[in-house]
Amino acid sequence: MAGKGGTTPATYSPSPATAKKKPPHLKEDWLRPDGRGFHQCRPAFFRTGAVNAASGSAYAEFGNTKVIVSVFGPRESKKAMLYNDTGRLNCNVSLTTFATPVRGQGLDHKEYTAMLHKALEGAIIVESFPKTTVDVFALVLESSGSDLPVIISCASLALADAGIMMYDLVASVSVSCLSKNLVIDPILEEENCQDGSLMIACMPSRYEITQLTVTGEWSTPKINEGMQLCLDACAKLAKIMRLCLKEAASDSQE
Amino acid sequence: MEINRPDGRTPNQLRPLACSRSVLHRAHGSASWAQGETKVLAAVYGPKAGTKKNENPEKASIEVIWKPKTGQIGKAERESEMILKKTLESICIRTIYPNTTTSIIVQVVHDDGALLPCAINAACAALVDAGIPLKHLAVAVCCSVTDSGGIILDPTKHEEENMKAFAYLVFPNAIVTVLPERSLQVSGESIAHGIITSVTQGAMSVDDYLHCLDRGRAASARLSEFLRKNIEPKPTSEASKAG
Amino acid sequence: MEKIKKRMGLPNASEDLSSEMEVDAFRRLFPLRYFERHLAESIRPDGRPLMKARETSIFLGAVASANGSALVKIGSTTMLTAIKMEVMTPSLESPDEGCIAIDFHMPPICSPIVRPGRPAEASPVVSKQLSDTISSSKMIDLKELSLVSGKAAWMAYLDVYCLDADGALFDAALLSAVAALSHLQIPAVAMNDDGRIIIMSDEEGQKQEPVNKEKRKLTLKSILFSLTCILHKNYILVDPTSEEESIMETHVTIVLDTSGQLISFYKPGGSVLAYTAAIQDCVAISRQRVQELKSILENSAMEVE
Repeated sequence: MAGKGGTTPATYSPSPATAKKKPPHLKEDWLRPDGRGFHQCRPAFFRTGAVNAASGSAYAEFGNTKVIVSVFGPRESKKAMLYNDTGRLNCNVSLTTFATPVRGQGLDHKEYTAMLHKALEGAIIVESFPKTTVDVFALVLESSGSDLPVIISCASLALADAGIMMYDLVASVSVSCLSKNLVIDPILEEENCQDGSLMIACMPSRYEITQLTVTGEWSTPKINEGMQLCLDACAKLAKIMRLCLKEAASDSQE
Repeated sequence: MEINRPDGRTPNQLRPLACSRSVLHRAHGSASWAQGETKVLAAVYGPKAGTKKNENPEKASIEVIWKPKTGQIGKAERESEMILKKTLESICIRTIYPNTTTSIIVQVVHDDGALLPCAINAACAALVDAGIPLKHLAVAVCCSVTDSGGIILDPTKHEEENMKAFAYLVFPNAIVTVLPERSLQVSGESIAHGIITSVTQGAMSVDDYLHCLDRGRAASARLSEFLRKNIEPKPTSEASKAG
Repeated sequence: MEKIKKRMGLPNASEDLSSEMEVDAFRRLFPLRYFERHLAESIRPDGRPLMKARETSIFLGAVASANGSALVKIGSTTMLTAIKMEVMTPSLESPDEGCIAIDFHMPPICSPIVRPGRPAEASPVVSKQLSDTISSSKMIDLKELSLVSGKAAWMAYLDVYCLDADGALFDAALLSAVAALSHLQIPAVAMNDDGRIIIMSDEEGQKQEPVNKEKRKLTLKSILFSLTCILHKNYILVDPTSEEESIMETHVTIVLDTSGQLISFYKPGGSVLAYTAAIQDCVAISRQRVQELKSILENSAMEVE
């Protein structure tokens, strides 16, 4: 009951207008807003077992981007599904209303769900849970650039926490192209004025890519450079994820 | 203290009650209940086979659908449905017909204060009309607390909006009951003193709330008398209803 | 766990089945009997005495980009609340008052019963309970949310997200809403030439006349705290987990404020009737809990500063 009056009135946010400003990186000595080098990722923080009610869960924090992923399953498929030798993967990504700087702005990111599904389905051994479904639900608590890569990495950690059999952990990193420079792990301001982006989700130990997404115009040498940057970063990220899982396992043994 | 009510009632006086049974011919049971201007129509269908996925199949389950007078179904309707469902589940004997669902549809005809108690009374009368086995009857009253601390029963909508706080209370009521004799007295209080449901709104002191309970209990005796009189089986030779 | 197995092994004429079965199986197949065995010894399966609530912690300022936020954990139940302020034109009947819109969400991550597209049954009920409780208690004076009388006022969107559902959802939701409101800082704004309100940034501070001088906090007249109990036969169980809530149906939620007034006594049905003695016991336990929660909230507020 929000005061008197029937329908909720129209409101606007008093923040200063965030129009797409002229990209400041045209200057030669442009620095990134948070002081990182062009090829430096944000410090990553992972924690498994964030949600008790789920079979497996993980919380990831990359700078200001915070994501929680819960995995439920394997559990019974809906009756409408016909018998299937392989298991099913069901994903859903949603954002909180306060995830974006202006309330309610990014709630229609429906493509994240489909992209998460595609990134994970190559890595999960679906034959290990026939007739059942594994549900992966992600909630973005705060969105501050490079959301989908964080969601994918966090989801694969949650799947590992739930004990779902996978070929390898999936690590994911994205690279933005700002005029001539390649910038890894972009934040929201950089994403807003980017000329193109490249996102890779890969399984580092097997050196296989589960998903590659490119937007914008890229020349061949640029794509190669971008891919190499991403793959190196993914390998380092996978090491951090493994460390997190090992710590969680040794904590639970004590 | 003298409390002046716009329609001239005393603080303990309920509005004129009106109840009719079997108003809908195709429903298995139905009743309409009016307290002053507030009128609610309840229809009961069931028991039907099968339970919903989340319900316990070892017991009969109850499903409530609340239809507001105008507008879409929103959170307020869902809350009323849940309160009604839990209240009626506690008065039905659920172990007699396991794995069945009884649907109760409540249609608000006019809202002039004390809507939820009116709906509970109507639903209870409809359940009796349908012949669903009940442990005891449920009788609902609305008590409100004025700014000066006095208690008023059965406020109209206008009075409700000006009150400091109000409480909807549901009491059990039984003359003859299936429960054994011993359990009719619990720690010195008879079974009719316990509350099945209580929903309050607004700030009041704990003593005010306990006074509301006392007044509510006294009023529930009058309400239950009226309810019993009105739901006695009519001596007509109607053909039995279909279904 | 060992204690329970030993107890199960004791010869008991009427329940021989229990001594042959594993504890987990007994817990799933006969949940009510499992709990009653514990209640007879005045203890619950997680080791708590009947009258003890779970460990509670409050963390203010969890969401940096929101005007006020709080993360609350009661046992495993986790709630995250964030408040975002937007500007609206006030209604004609109350030109001096702002507005608070409270919404409670249960996203699919929090519990196996919630599916995307099929919201939990509890979600609209807790949402309405929350907004009714906070608005009817007059904890907040809506006049503080006014900016320019008749033209602009604050609309505070308070969103409570359940991150982990393990019983006592309303308690945790109310506590996190109240904590976020106590942490809320209303930004300093100015009206620009078009009549729109914008946040004053330091550079343009000199040009416009600020509508409110500096960032301020809401005054909360008396803070609300709640406690959920379960009534089962003669026992009162305080702060149930979701397992206990699903087995024993009679829940009572009491909301008290710091001045001792009863804001809400909510008992939605249930097979156990509440007698005056039980009501008074519950209210007494709630009063103790109010003191506990009040000190926890004050400690967390001091940590922020």
